[in-house]
Amino acid sequence: MYEKEKDLIDAFMRGQVDRRGLIRGLGALGLAAGTAGTLLNFGQTRALAADFDWQSHKGKTIKLLLNKHPYADAMIANLENFKQLTGMNVVYDVFPEDVYFDKVTAALSASSPEYDAFMTGAYMTWTYGPAGWITDLNEWIKDPAKTNPNYAWDDFLPGVRNSCAWNGKPGGELGSEDAKQWCIPWGFEQNNITYNHGMFEKAGVKVPGNMDELVAAAAKLTKDVGGGVYGIGVRGSRSWATIHPGFLSAYANFDQKDLNVSADGKLSAAMNTAESKAFHKQWVQMIQESGPKDWSTYTWYQVGTDLGAGASAMIFDADILGYFMNGGDNKMAGKLAFAGFKANPAAKAPTPNIWIWSLSMSNFSKDKDATWYFMQWASGPEHALFGATKMDFVNPVRQSVWKDDVFREKLNKSYPGYVEMFDASAPGASIKFTAQPLFFDLTTEWAATLQKMVAKEVPIDEGLDKLAESINGQLKEAGLG
Amino acid sequence: MEHTSLLERILRGIALTLVVIFFMFPIVWIFMMSFQTNETILRIPPQLVFEPTLANYTALITGKLMTAAGTLDIAFMRNLWNSVFLSVTSVAVALLLGVPAAYAFARHKFRGSEDIAFTLLSFRFAPALLVLLPLTLYFQKLGLANTYFGLIWVYQLICLPLILWIVRGYFEDIPADIEYAYRIGGHSWFATFRKIALPLAGPGIAAAGLLAFIFAWNNFVFALVLASADKQPVTVGALAFITSSGIQYGQISAAIVLSITPTLALALYAQRYLVEGLSLGAVKG
Amino acid sequence: MTAATVQRARPSGFRISKRVLPYLLSLPALLVCIGILIPFLTSVVYSFQRYRLSQPWARQFNWGDNYISFFTDPKFWNTLQVSLLYAGITVVLELLLGLAIAMLLQKRSTLNNFISIMLLMPLMTAPALAALMWKLMTNPGFGVLSYLASLIGLQDFRWASSPSTALLTVVLVDIWVYTPFIMILLLAGLRSLPTQPFEAAALDGVPRSFVFFRITLPMLMPYILTATLFRLLDSIQQFDIIYAMTQGGPGDTLTVFQVEAYLNFFQSTNVGRSAALMIILWAITYFLSNIFIKNWLRLRERARGQA
Repeated sequence: MYEKEKDLIDAFMRGQVDRRGLIRGLGALGLAAGTAGTLLNFGQTRALAADFDWQSHKGKTIKLLLNKHPYADAMIANLENFKQLTGMNVVYDVFPEDVYFDKVTAALSASSPEYDAFMTGAYMTWTYGPAGWITDLNEWIKDPAKTNPNYAWDDFLPGVRNSCAWNGKPGGELGSEDAKQWCIPWGFEQNNITYNHGMFEKAGVKVPGNMDELVAAAAKLTKDVGGGVYGIGVRGSRSWATIHPGFLSAYANFDQKDLNVSADGKLSAAMNTAESKAFHKQWVQMIQESGPKDWSTYTWYQVGTDLGAGASAMIFDADILGYFMNGGDNKMAGKLAFAGFKANPAAKAPTPNIWIWSLSMSNFSKDKDATWYFMQWASGPEHALFGATKMDFVNPVRQSVWKDDVFREKLNKSYPGYVEMFDASAPGASIKFTAQPLFFDLTTEWAATLQKMVAKEVPIDEGLDKLAESINGQLKEAGLG
Repeated sequence: MEHTSLLERILRGIALTLVVIFFMFPIVWIFMMSFQTNETILRIPPQLVFEPTLANYTALITGKLMTAAGTLDIAFMRNLWNSVFLSVTSVAVALLLGVPAAYAFARHKFRGSEDIAFTLLSFRFAPALLVLLPLTLYFQKLGLANTYFGLIWVYQLICLPLILWIVRGYFEDIPADIEYAYRIGGHSWFATFRKIALPLAGPGIAAAGLLAFIFAWNNFVFALVLASADKQPVTVGALAFITSSGIQYGQISAAIVLSITPTLALALYAQRYLVEGLSLGAVKG
Repeated sequence: MTAATVQRARPSGFRISKRVLPYLLSLPALLVCIGILIPFLTSVVYSFQRYRLSQPWARQFNWGDNYISFFTDPKFWNTLQVSLLYAGITVVLELLLGLAIAMLLQKRSTLNNFISIMLLMPLMTAPALAALMWKLMTNPGFGVLSYLASLIGLQDFRWASSPSTALLTVVLVDIWVYTPFIMILLLAGLRSLPTQPFEAAALDGVPRSFVFFRITLPMLMPYILTATLFRLLDSIQQFDIIYAMTQGGPGDTLTVFQVEAYLNFFQSTNVGRSAALMIILWAITYFLSNIFIKNWLRLRERARGQA
């Protein structure tokens, strides 16, 4: 069975039929899109097998630690192809995001050999790398005997790829010459604006083009949309997660930094400059005037929930959060639109800070070569395309996927402005934090300071000076400042 | 027997009603949310009227969850089973070990008895976080990581001190004379323990057992850190509904309802013992 | 009963078994728990080290440095203060409320029994999930409690998100979850009190307040102490509710011991500091429970003396 289909797929592989022709052809043969996708991947799997010995770890089993996430779901949906391709077996543990990193820390700090590879964020590798829990992946990526010729390492978006590489020196530049590749980017989130265009129309508000306009637009939306709708959703909980999305993206657009790195490698706090204070004032004012009333408890899911349920008019947060709120059984599904955001009127383009779900290899893995087989497949171009077009493996980290017509069409159809937003901000998208081991201490304290400012417990200038003083103390104590 | 004025009865009635409203309102609200989806839960202002749906329960029981990001496989029923197994076994072990020990501390003042009793209690002082890292390390070396056996052992930290100290109090309330009289009748120590002490302290044992069960049921740190995904309890399972594509309040509510049900059934079953108290009034008098 | 019959009826070997028996009965429990002492001691060692997982090369003994640094750290004193305040408020309120409810339900009736079981339901809800639900119910838009508050004129009540009401809100959730714990233990206690003293007091026409303070309360005291002790141990270690509701915020309003230690361990991976915090918490609970146990034993002795 499926002989005709296989011929068609092979024709596609040989380049005789283009991708859309293939999907149309398969559709004409009466295959559902899902089946066509799996078959297509099956064809690609056979193509992959031609020029690399995928079977050299046949019979081995590796175990993954995964976060409950659409990226993991996309991988699991395609996993059968990997098993066929390599003859390997893959088992996995999936944990809810709420407790996921606790599980990772517990497993790795105990040097547990149970998991061979796991999902992580790039920030976390600033702890895991120096702790000796994960492996520098350059050893595999750069070895043609271990990595298949189609892997196309250069296909990764440079800003994203570099954000996953760090030389381990506190304050060391991400993606530097001597950097170690602590993880491979899998999917990532840019922080931009997702807005409810019905509400924008009702209040007569245009998509804001800089920070002043954002503050004004949020205030006008709060005033004019009515029904208790507030202007802008941003995170506010006492956590690093409050700093890294919209807040740092806008902050970085004003060329402001979290830390200064001196010539001799010493770190010091950089958030009490005059520009930073001016920015904090605007941000705090925006939350006080037009943020959620219980902002200080807000994590990503509340920011998303409010937008999806029509309680907020826009969010300045992860683009894929807006993406998910535009589908499913959300009240506002199909009513959201996307826009890049450039906070600084003088800046040329948006510079979003990014969150990167990545794959890391455990240093305690018993068979790293076999583990790499899985990792190169899971981060390879074939799976990226499958996930992006058939599942919700968005945002892809590979440029080739962003050039794919089927993918762009899928986005354009249901996610107005998404592709433009991406194209405008992707060149400037990277991690804007200084890589150093106290990342979580400093960002948590930063968030707590923001909370005090919003609650008017401390004036902004004084709060930032105190924060800088405290951070400098902690850096000194840890031998970094 | 009691002479209560009408006014007092009314006041008592009002007070009790307020108590019931305060404690039950959130439960009722959660119960109602379990029959709704986010669409009706997330309305401004919240409303009472909704079209009930069984979708949440269907999703939990069949293990297929529909989200904005497609269908997710969930293992909620597996989590529920883990919770039942871990809690029942842990409490059973804790009762086997704790009740005789409680009896010993209550009845026999022996050298070091108070020290041993206090040491056992002090295991409850140590926050889980304190022992987590070394425990994980040692469990791995001993091969106990990721085993039910290891978890049940660690759960004794939650259950045993509670059972021991509550049951001890009940044993001490039983007048020693009753047991003594029975022993003098020529019965063995064990027969006395089984026929007299155990039944008389029954309510205390039931209450302590139920409370230990609840605390074991609600704990999830140990399982999270020490075991893999297939051994996680219901609390971890319910957190899975904070999905990356949004939080599913309806399913969390349904998960809470399903996770309360076994405990509630147990409590209703044991009601007779739980709220009877020691029926010693007559004996003592 | 005469002394002679006692002598005759005493089973042989009674003396020996009486000496050994209690150890036989209590040792298994001790042995099962003793394993935990080893990890505990390991953590004590950690607390005397400079031990950050992210800087393994810098791991070394710094002896008391982790502890000494707390004394000059205002955040630590805040943590200590908030933890004790939280534990104090919740335990006192839950005890008063639990006792009141137990007394309301004291009379044996089907309805009372049923209500007492129903009231256990908050306790059966895992605190982390309960907090999630309370967070939704206090949301200014979707939250039913916010809505009800607005109906009685509290338009802008910020619940857990404002520094002035955050403590109040988490205490409220704690009361909701844990009062049933105290209630059920005291109810069982109340119902097992001997009836004779109360009947006698009623016959003599003793005022009810006198009966309550001079008869009920003293007789109930061992139960009150046990319930309070366990509640105190848990309350001073509270994590689930506070972390799920506010993550210790807003600002540093609710950074209790467990929240700080959790952040130090899992986020900063500063094992040494986290362990030192936990040891201090352990010492505080040790001290407090010692007081409780001493009183408990004294009351028991007195009760036995009276009987």
